[in-house]
Amino acid sequence: MEERRGKKAQVTIFIIVAIIVVVAGILIYIFLPEIKGALGVEAESPSVILENCLASKEIGDNIEVIARQGGYMEPEHYILYQGEKIEYLCYSEEYYRTCVMQQPMLKKHIEKEIQASIADDVKQCFDDLKNDYERQGYDVNLGAGDIGVELLPQRIVLTFNKALTLTRGETKSYPTTKVILNNNLYELVSIADSILSWEAVAGDVETTTYMDYYHNLKVEKLKQGDGSTIYILTDRNTGDKLQFASRSVALPPGYGLDGVTYEK
Amino acid sequence: MKREIKIVIGMILLVGIFLTIQTASALDVTYCCEKTKSGGWCQNAAQDKCDTKFQMAATSCESTSYCRMGCCFDSQEGTCKENTPEKICNDNDGVWAASASCEIPQCELGCCLIGEQAAFSSLTRCKRLSSLYGLEINFRPDITDELECIASATADVKGACVFEEDFANTCVFMTKGECQKKIDAGENATFYEDVLCSDEELGTDCAPTTRTTCVEGKDEVYFVDSCGNVANVYDSTKATNKLYWSEVVKTGDACGITDVNGNADSKTCGNCDYFLGSTCKKASVANKATYGDYICADLGCTYNGNRYEHGETWCVNSQGVAGNLPGSRYFRLVCYNGDVTVEPCADFRGEICKQTAVRGFRNAACVANKWQTCTGQSDVADCLNTDVRDCQWISDRCVPVYAPGFNFWANAGTCAAGTLSYTVTYEKRIIGDWECKENCEYCKGEDGCTRSGDTVALLNNICTSYGDCGIKTNFIGVQGFNTESVISQKEQVK
Repeated sequence: MEERRGKKAQVTIFIIVAIIVVVAGILIYIFLPEIKGALGVEAESPSVILENCLASKEIGDNIEVIARQGGYMEPEHYILYQGEKIEYLCYSEEYYRTCVMQQPMLKKHIEKEIQASIADDVKQCFDDLKNDYERQGYDVNLGAGDIGVELLPQRIVLTFNKALTLTRGETKSYPTTKVILNNNLYELVSIADSILSWEAVAGDVETTTYMDYYHNLKVEKLKQGDGSTIYILTDRNTGDKLQFASRSVALPPGYGLDGVTYEK
Repeated sequence: MKREIKIVIGMILLVGIFLTIQTASALDVTYCCEKTKSGGWCQNAAQDKCDTKFQMAATSCESTSYCRMGCCFDSQEGTCKENTPEKICNDNDGVWAASASCEIPQCELGCCLIGEQAAFSSLTRCKRLSSLYGLEINFRPDITDELECIASATADVKGACVFEEDFANTCVFMTKGECQKKIDAGENATFYEDVLCSDEELGTDCAPTTRTTCVEGKDEVYFVDSCGNVANVYDSTKATNKLYWSEVVKTGDACGITDVNGNADSKTCGNCDYFLGSTCKKASVANKATYGDYICADLGCTYNGNRYEHGETWCVNSQGVAGNLPGSRYFRLVCYNGDVTVEPCADFRGEICKQTAVRGFRNAACVANKWQTCTGQSDVADCLNTDVRDCQWISDRCVPVYAPGFNFWANAGTCAAGTLSYTVTYEKRIIGDWECKENCEYCKGEDGCTRSGDTVALLNNICTSYGDCGIKTNFIGVQGFNTESVISQKEQVK
């Protein structure tokens, strides 16, 4: 009888210990930043926090969509290709005519598009960052400022010109915060620029020339039934893609036979 | 009073006629739309395609002030864009100049020598590249040819930069300039031109290994020393050769230089050549090199069971192109980096694929189908002049070799040229029946008619050559509406 009671008490103790462990775990999880702060553990740098936050918001997907749609989040003058809207960057309504440049500053334009597409996510991430630091016991002062996006070789640099001051004993100031994304869009845009220049002057491009120069580049040229051409540039190493459309020196179907008669 | 009524009616008629002419011409005249309804900027189009919220004028865009074509210069990036309307350039913060072909000083090209590479670019672009890559530049405006520019790019002298670190003599393989920076910064470093860090005479802690690596921007597989420095091109026969680990050996003097496949899949030599069809890649388990994890990967392709070399392009025999059937289209295939990509030529057979071969290496291109002037040729030599046109001479007629395609659903009547009319002459004497006398190969059923199956085939061949006309199936073999030729016969009695 006593043995049975002893076993029961043992089980009860185990259950109590288990509950304590679970509750402690939950409390540590909830109050981890405050615990870190109390223990004097150095907080992560703002750029790391922002980088993780932006990654969780999948801003890379926004960049991918912009790149796949000819540099536009919301294409206006586009051709539909496999369900995707691809913006015309050089276009001529007429047959036999070289195209008129529709977006001469492609790099700058893409930077603006990325900037606009991530603005909400960035605001959210800064709010989270502020809350995060405050929970760790910091006195946070976050200034107003814009977002700068710059396409550079092998990377995209996001610069947040919001002055951030963190005070907990000592004061740390971050006039700007930078987040760097690995992306080869700069290289692809440069090649797109070159292709568009050829389209505007000669009306066509030899894809193999580019693949001879750039060994990791794949250039696909897909002529459509209406005389448009879709270009797909792919970095073979990273898989980064840029798609855009052009309509230059389009050849009409059946031209020249109307009204021609032949009698013998 | 009657006279007045006549004048009023006359005036109404005149106004009516004027308005009718205006409406008709408005439909025909091309307008310069600042923006079209579909969103295109500065397009010559029919009036109904213009977006009315923007400017339009019944003239071509070249003659308007709002859509003048010129050159758009990006002063930050140093790039120039031809054929750009002034408004679009200005709206995007570009600098516009009235030269559609960009013949302006800012866009003058020269040779931009940057590091070990060269770019044929403008001076501004060259400076921009310098700031982007953090390299010094040498802009040569005297070099006006792109190939000459690329050829003038020279590699900086490289060698072993020996210095002391953590009380040990170590070494980094770098350029003379980089080593000089170390020396200038006060480090006790010494540069040995064209010498590898693993050279025993240098007395460094860098030693030969059997490890290999790929180097960014280069095709070859390289040995790596114990300090992580890139050494000479991988050559399994020289893995332990002291001399090979001492001096820089140029790729032209390295192993397998005569291999026509660029040492593709070679287990012993890493002297890959992209233009011969190989480049450095991680080796597969099934095809490992004697030493190291990298190999000269074969960049050739296999398509429909046939082998194609890297860089080869060829025409594919797609459905219906042999007979230029309605719906058929020419395609060019491209083999690069082990990948086959499909490039459709212009639809409606506006382009055809032409293929040549030099020493077995296939080269194809989509070229314009020059059929438009065939029907106007009456001379055989002119008709068959392939420099000018793609025509053939059939039965005293000049017809296209590659029948063009029609969007017949929108452009009816284009087969008119293929409709042939002949006058067959019959004669009837006092006694006897009608007898064919002229063009008897085209009559049917009467005495003297000589029409045969060959005639029908010939006529159909002529007819079908003009385009999607005559008796044909479409490109997937579905028969069209016509199942037999219709030759209109006119009887004329002399």
